[in-house]
Amino acid sequence: LFNTLAAVRVKLNTMLLYSRSSRAMNISTSGILRLNRSATYARSINASVSRKSFCLAADSKILEKSSVQTPKHTIQVLDENGKDVTPRPVYQPDPAAVQSKHSKIFASDTSGGTMSDFYSTTYQTTTNASFAGAFTRSLFGSGSVSIGSQSIMESMSEEIEDPSSKRDNSISLSDVQVKREEVKELIQEEMLDDMVDLYLVESDTLCLLDMPAISVSVDSMEAESVKERNSRYTELCKNRTGNDKYMGRSMQTFNGASKTKEVQSEAITMADAATIANNWDMYDSFCSAGQGEVDLSTDTDKASIAEMIHQNHGPTRTMERTMSVISSSTIVSSSSSRMEMEPFVVPSESKPDPELILQSEEFQQHLFVMERIILENIYQPKLAAYRQLPTLEGMVLLEESSLDEEGPPTPALERLWSFSCELTTGRNVSSMAWNKRNPDLLAVGYGQFAFKDQKPGLVCCWSLKNPSWPERIFTCQSGVTALDFSASSASMLAVGMHDGTIATYNVQSREKTPVIDSSDCVHKHTSPVWQVRWINHERALSGEDKGEALISVSADGRISKWFLRKDLMKLKRTRNDRFKRQVGEKERKSEALISRQAPGLCFDFHPTDSNIYLAGTEEGHIHKCSCSYNEQFLETYQAHKGPLYRITWSPFCSDVFLSCSSDWTIQLWRQDLFTPVLGFMSTQRAVYDVMWSPKWATVFGAVNEGRMEIWDLGASILDPTIVNPASPGVKLTSLLFATETDCVLVGDSDGQVSVYQLKNFTAGEGTQVGTLEDIIGSTLASQL
Amino acid sequence: MAEVEETLKRIQSQKGVQGIIIVNAEGIPIKTTLDNSSTVQYAGLIHQLVMKARSTVRDIDPQNDLTFLRIRSKKNEIMIAPESCVEIL
Repeated sequence: LFNTLAAVRVKLNTMLLYSRSSRAMNISTSGILRLNRSATYARSINASVSRKSFCLAADSKILEKSSVQTPKHTIQVLDENGKDVTPRPVYQPDPAAVQSKHSKIFASDTSGGTMSDFYSTTYQTTTNASFAGAFTRSLFGSGSVSIGSQSIMESMSEEIEDPSSKRDNSISLSDVQVKREEVKELIQEEMLDDMVDLYLVESDTLCLLDMPAISVSVDSMEAESVKERNSRYTELCKNRTGNDKYMGRSMQTFNGASKTKEVQSEAITMADAATIANNWDMYDSFCSAGQGEVDLSTDTDKASIAEMIHQNHGPTRTMERTMSVISSSTIVSSSSSRMEMEPFVVPSESKPDPELILQSEEFQQHLFVMERIILENIYQPKLAAYRQLPTLEGMVLLEESSLDEEGPPTPALERLWSFSCELTTGRNVSSMAWNKRNPDLLAVGYGQFAFKDQKPGLVCCWSLKNPSWPERIFTCQSGVTALDFSASSASMLAVGMHDGTIATYNVQSREKTPVIDSSDCVHKHTSPVWQVRWINHERALSGEDKGEALISVSADGRISKWFLRKDLMKLKRTRNDRFKRQVGEKERKSEALISRQAPGLCFDFHPTDSNIYLAGTEEGHIHKCSCSYNEQFLETYQAHKGPLYRITWSPFCSDVFLSCSSDWTIQLWRQDLFTPVLGFMSTQRAVYDVMWSPKWATVFGAVNEGRMEIWDLGASILDPTIVNPASPGVKLTSLLFATETDCVLVGDSDGQVSVYQLKNFTAGEGTQVGTLEDIIGSTLASQL
Repeated sequence: MAEVEETLKRIQSQKGVQGIIIVNAEGIPIKTTLDNSSTVQYAGLIHQLVMKARSTVRDIDPQNDLTFLRIRSKKNEIMIAPESCVEIL
């Protein structure tokens, strides 16, 4: 390739010569260059070209160089005009290629750029033969361009040249090129001719850098000629020194004024982003990805909770409740499922409004739990004692020491805690009932007994886990006198009131209004309802009677059976058991017509046979009735001299029942005997409530005005075993045994329900029932 | 809303409760019954602990989640409900 090098040199010289000869052409070449770039530049080009011509014409000496420099100037001019300098393209089409390729030269805008390229590069580096090929092209191009420019010069003032005119140029150039070649031939006498051929072949390759070897191998074809040349050259050099033929001439080249060009680019800001992928993070994204498509409703209110995961609150708590947990947990889970997709859709967490947090259900739930836990902390020993669990906190074991000293420990009551809050103070506890399904739930009804001081009644549902505030509070129009939880649907609470209405509440919901109210019923009670009970009739006559029915007794002398329809409480069948008043033995005819109905105060269904029930009246009679007979009593037991407040069948002995009344006595009856088997009297106070213990057959509890008594018939039939006096000024009104533990609940007229634990209470071993029957038997025997 | 207020009052009035702090998800206290400096201190410290505890629980089983956290010390006990972060001393 050194041939090319030589060729370059020669060409440069020739070009210089050429340029000298055609000054105008060069100028025009520059113009053409720019024309080639873009046709739109024509007018400005013309102007600049004319300018160029003027300045160039001024100095002849510098002309050569300047003319050579024009290409460079052209570039600079472009800059001054504000035109973008097109980036020098890498691709340089071969102008020396086959004539068919001529169109390429001018068709592409890049060619103009290449020519300027060539000029500048060749000017700068003579030794750099990398553009040798390009140089020949440029020569061609220049030649062609210059000749083409002639035609353009003629039409300088004319329009922008079209591609067609370009083509014309190319066509003319083709002619020119022929001439060029001829001219070239003349010039390149000494050079080898195969240069042209070479270029023709390899027109497509881009030669970016080509450092030709200065030496040629001995084997190559050119070796001979190269050697010859070399020898000639050395000879020439030798001859040169004294030879007149050769003249040393110095040249000075101008260094183009360099201009610094600055480019500024925006700093690339780098930010480090890191994230930790936890196990659950991936799980979350996975889950929310699946849910994101399902639920796209963006609830902005719920977006307040930014936390993503919340599956279920309720079941995680070990305490199982029938009440609010179920309903609120569904709310929580639904809201959380909607919220789970929120962070997926909106990656940035929206800052939750504090107010929304406070209002949210979950927050309430948390507060709820929190309160429970705190109370548990406070009441833990008591609650543990209630549930008969060992107490924590490393309490001093007192029992052991005390047990050693005394003999058989005396049974005693220990007061654990009491359910009360400021809402209930001052109210009279009238009835209490355990929830059938959740033994921790207690419903307490508050209402006055006496007619005089009536205030709106209150029903509170207490939970054992929170003795300081009831879970549910229902206010009723009039005093509550009776309560019972349903067994089939454990959240239904039937409430009987002083004005005769019966209402049922759903304790699961947080509504304050009863589900059903009997106030619209035709046959409703007109007097206070003293007792309500849900009874499950297994043996029913017709299909409608099956299931649970609500039985109520009221002071208007009726025991009614209620059925609950969908929305209203309907009195399906009234069993008008009218309690006929028996005015002693005499029956006056006139009064027989006005058969007053004795107010009923209590009733109790037989534990096994749900058709038989006992009813107690205000007159002291106990009537045994049957559901099938509406008009007649089966039996009547008369012993009491005052209104009967309570009748209960024994849960263990199906023949035995207890009754208590305001005549200070508690009577124990057997079904077939018309006189009580045993009577108990301890104080001269009206006994308000009596209840059999659910655990021991011989034990029952009684409450009279001043104190609470636990009787154990196995121990003594004359005296109560445990006596617990009430606080002064407070009357005890109701009693309830806890079903699973040894605790007794006592309600008083101050609104407190105190929980007592029976301590050291063993009612003897052996079958309790047998004991009871033995007692009865022995008593009867002794009476005979 | 009123229920929430009532519950808060009841909790506050219980024997042994020193104070209540309610913190949002970013650890900024919303409501407090303690003084400002302790609130800020507690909120900052507890928040990190809750994050860590929750991360621990969920790492073991991603379907699980932290429901309650109790820290019992010699002098007192801190109870944290982590959802919207209620802390009660």
